[in-house]
Amino acid sequence: MAAELGRRDLIKLAAAAVAVKPGRAAGKPEFFTPQEYALVDDLSEMVIPADEKSGGAKAARVVDYIDHNLAEAFEQEERDHFREGLRVFLDTPAAERPALLARAASNEKQPHRPEERFFRLLKQYTIQGYYTSKIGIHDDMEYKGNVYQTGDYAGYLPGDKTGHDA
Amino acid sequence: MAQSSHEPNLNADLKQTYDAVIVGSGAAGGMAAHVLTSHGLKVLLLEAGKKLPIEKELKSMQWPYDHPRRGKMPADDHALTLNEYTVRPRPYAQGMRYRHVFSYVQGWSGSDYSKNIVVDEKDHPYTGTDYAWVRARLLGGKTAIWGRLALRLSDYDFKAASRDGFGEDWPISYKDIEPYYDRVDTYLGISGLKEGLPQLPDSLFQRPNRLTKSEIMLRASLEKNGRLLTPYRAGVTTDGLKHNKYRSKCFGRGACTRRIGGCDIHAAFDSPTGLIYPAMDTGNLTLRTNATVYEVTVDKNSGQASGVSFIDTDTGQTYHAKGRAVILGASTLETARLLLLSKSPQHPGGLGNSSGHVGHNFCEHLMGPSVTGIVKDMIGKPHTLDDGRPGGFYLPRFRNLASKNPNFLRGYGFEGEGGMRMFPGHALSTPGYGKDFKKQVRDYAGAFISMGGFGEVLPRYENYVEIDPDRKDRWGIPVLRFHIAFGDNEKKMAQDMGDQAQEMFENAGIQVIGVDRKLLTPGWSIHELGTSRMGNDPKKSVVNQFQQCHDVKNLLVVDGSTHVSASCQNPTWTIMALAWRSCDNLADQLRKGEI
Repeated sequence: MAAELGRRDLIKLAAAAVAVKPGRAAGKPEFFTPQEYALVDDLSEMVIPADEKSGGAKAARVVDYIDHNLAEAFEQEERDHFREGLRVFLDTPAAERPALLARAASNEKQPHRPEERFFRLLKQYTIQGYYTSKIGIHDDMEYKGNVYQTGDYAGYLPGDKTGHDA
Repeated sequence: MAQSSHEPNLNADLKQTYDAVIVGSGAAGGMAAHVLTSHGLKVLLLEAGKKLPIEKELKSMQWPYDHPRRGKMPADDHALTLNEYTVRPRPYAQGMRYRHVFSYVQGWSGSDYSKNIVVDEKDHPYTGTDYAWVRARLLGGKTAIWGRLALRLSDYDFKAASRDGFGEDWPISYKDIEPYYDRVDTYLGISGLKEGLPQLPDSLFQRPNRLTKSEIMLRASLEKNGRLLTPYRAGVTTDGLKHNKYRSKCFGRGACTRRIGGCDIHAAFDSPTGLIYPAMDTGNLTLRTNATVYEVTVDKNSGQASGVSFIDTDTGQTYHAKGRAVILGASTLETARLLLLSKSPQHPGGLGNSSGHVGHNFCEHLMGPSVTGIVKDMIGKPHTLDDGRPGGFYLPRFRNLASKNPNFLRGYGFEGEGGMRMFPGHALSTPGYGKDFKKQVRDYAGAFISMGGFGEVLPRYENYVEIDPDRKDRWGIPVLRFHIAFGDNEKKMAQDMGDQAQEMFENAGIQVIGVDRKLLTPGWSIHELGTSRMGNDPKKSVVNQFQQCHDVKNLLVVDGSTHVSASCQNPTWTIMALAWRSCDNLADQLRKGEI
């Protein structure tokens, strides 16, 4: 019975579901050229890198999420905007890209230049892709929900000690 | 869960005269079906939409990474945005290239889990003033995705006109409806905490949902100022229902808060499992889906309702169903539309409309004012399970109770939540990138708390809907034209809501990072009410206190269109309590041969 399933079982089931799902092999882009794909992979990792807590955007295959989204996007404009900004990075030597990214990010509230608009799109996609991935949800955020609570519900009732000041 | 064998009958017998024909299978129509069948009456229930395999649609426990688009609907479908409700020509979907266009309720980029539940705006146009009209045409109507906040009204609402001089009193008082609230609580299950508030009477609660640390802290601060924060009063069975085999108790999975709504184990009330399947089990209910009613027919001699005409939404074929009584629960605005469409020599201005009030006195809940803040003590703390519940907290009305506010009439309440969620929405507004960015997103994930207001919109005759003389829907049925706008009272109330929200957070030591005082588009709350209001005076109202049309005794209107005023408290539980009371009365009258 579904109600008896714990979180661990559900994750196992989910993993099994993913394992048998037909799909393209990782590294085979639907939209990006191979160079674009490799670069977006690197740039997404710069937005959300691996750290002592969890893997980063690369490990979470954020590039595949972005690639699939752009391949599917309803408006050609969305693809064009992304590619236009990406070109600025492609045309910049690898060693200078971190500095370019920093400049592009410095105006993220009101982006004007192609690389600034690109940064905003890249960041938005990376956030959406990363924090909906297994690594993002379970390893990094250590999200505790989406489980059957078979006993008392988590949390507090008025009058309970919350340990808030502990 | 028991597998349902409650398939609709597309070949329902239409030769017989049913005791009652019900239009609509949501909270109102479902309740009518339950009550009348339990009295042994033979009932035909007509629903415009289909019966969806709802558990498969909702997939409540699916992780984002197991969905090909992380839960988003296909890219060639579109959900209307707030901006579009203001700037687009009407009907809203007109000229859009998308395959399907849905209402805003589909949320961020559109939800793949509810896209089949809300209607396609292309098929269901409407015209007139700005209005975000969310409609769900399927078995169960909007109960398939409702927000679950289940509140009682009080005499502050039923007798509001006597207190402040605006509008009309309801023809009932709290003591008339209290026993029916009790029945709804017991039959359907409700969770909450007794608080003893006169403006928000307690229900017969099952175990409450719990609060997060930051919510407990806010509650303590509010108490010092004579205000209250209470766990979300949810129309959800948290202890289970021995008498209903179609519904599980709530296991705090939180699926209903992460998505638009919906519960695939039916712990949250929905009309099919809560009301309709048990009614079918009596053997007294016939269910016909894909049946869009376009006219309530009347007897040529008596002028009384004789039945309804409907069109099969798939085949386009028209049918007529006969009933000793006709009961409308099509949802507030669809019911008004249907009454206005049902013109006859006896009822030239539409059925039940000798008063001229059908379509008028629209009211609802304004939305928009809200506050978001950060609880500093929660930054960097280990993440806890905070969203495994059908809702966060409710902060009940405090305005215009003992004292009178000089700027506006009536009141408002807030719904809110604090703590950790699956998707850290704050990441999108956290500046920067890299390791520091990532750590900040993680550290702040459990520290946010926010709440948004629901304010009473005054019922005014000038806010109304009518039949558009030109435009028709996909099935050739004339559509509604809106004439609805917020007034001075709503604007002043919204200002106060924002001010008070900010002050309450600041008093609790919460660092306020955003306050909104703007009103969202009318309709946003999906709490449309009025347009066929109750009353004792047939010149000023459409139905009596038992929701019987003054003009047509065997025609009942049991949905939110009969509400005299909106209150600021959510309407679903009141809709069902009133429907129960009215259908008890109807059953009595049918038995006595008075109808």
